[in-house]
Amino acid sequence: MSVYLAVAIGLAMGVLFGLALEKARVMEPGFLIGQFQLTNFTMIKVMLSAIATGLVILAVLHGFGIVQLSVKTALVGHMIVGGLLLGVGIVFAGACPGTAMAQLGAGYKDAWAVIAGGLAGGYTYGLYQKQIDTALDWSGIGLGNLGKMTLADLLPGGFVTLALIFAALIVVGLVALERWRPWRVEMERHDPTSGPGRSAGIAPRYAAPAE
Amino acid sequence: MSILSARVWSPYAAGILIGLLQIPAFLLMNTALGASSSFVTVAASIASFFDPAVNAIPYFKAHVSTAKDWWQVALVVGVAAGAFISAKMSGTTRPAMSEMWGRVMGIHSFPLRLLVAFAGGFVLLLGARIANGCTSGHGLSGLSQLAVSSLIAMAAMFASGMAISAVLKRA
Repeated sequence: MSVYLAVAIGLAMGVLFGLALEKARVMEPGFLIGQFQLTNFTMIKVMLSAIATGLVILAVLHGFGIVQLSVKTALVGHMIVGGLLLGVGIVFAGACPGTAMAQLGAGYKDAWAVIAGGLAGGYTYGLYQKQIDTALDWSGIGLGNLGKMTLADLLPGGFVTLALIFAALIVVGLVALERWRPWRVEMERHDPTSGPGRSAGIAPRYAAPAE
Repeated sequence: MSILSARVWSPYAAGILIGLLQIPAFLLMNTALGASSSFVTVAASIASFFDPAVNAIPYFKAHVSTAKDWWQVALVVGVAAGAFISAKMSGTTRPAMSEMWGRVMGIHSFPLRLLVAFAGGFVLLLGARIANGCTSGHGLSGLSQLAVSSLIAMAAMFASGMAISAVLKRA
């Protein structure tokens, strides 16, 4: 595929991705930290909805042999340390790599610094890849390379069945979550933005009490 | 269009739309949705402008050579554009930095926030590259494929994120 076509496809997909991130407010730094503090469940609602959708799509596309899966290798040390750093980074950046770009478009100027730091961080890994990879090879304590393992390698039933079962479980979980924490209530309480339909830039919870 | 001018969408609608993007990712690009490797592509391209020897480093070489690399760069640029369009169409405005930072970390000055944001972004992408994926590549795409690697990475991400956030003030 030509680079131009790839870029055109990427832009079109990215616009839809960015629309969804902004409309759901899941790119708000307060929403991400709020999820970690278990006070705002928007992030997990968006993620689980996307995962359930993806599970059904891949059950079909992979089940009918139309596409190959694109599973990342389970280097256990890398996953643990990388994942831990990701969590730390999200709290101080107030963003993940994708949502930092959405913040930029949505008007947060500090996202420029997140992205600049991100470019430096990604570059640093490339420079020290050998040293980092050596340090995180924990095969000596049995936490080495598990390969491109999926739950279909560990549980009975095969990928298609498992994917559909997990998708169904997620839907049940989301229905329960919505009953417990209705999204409109969470949005009304936590949305920090200003604009039509939103009188002040301060969420009601923080607004001065009425006289 | 009312969908675009709506102030907010339900998180479920947004999530389903994001999940549907796996269809073009797999069918057209033969890959899954992801965001973080684009930072390597852009950083290596900028660096090679000043020092062409950078292109010889294997990790960078592997990130600037294929159409897929530039597809992902275009994807994250599109994310910024999509969020811009979304905010503009609905008249949603935001300050230069979220006022949440004052509540949560006591950061009221923009320059101080820039320092923390840079450091946060650095750790974020260092972690994402070590784990070979971020909230998109592991969280959305990896879990959609029941990948064990992604389960471990996401468990670790939520563990450290929740531990640090627990000592901060409410967002």
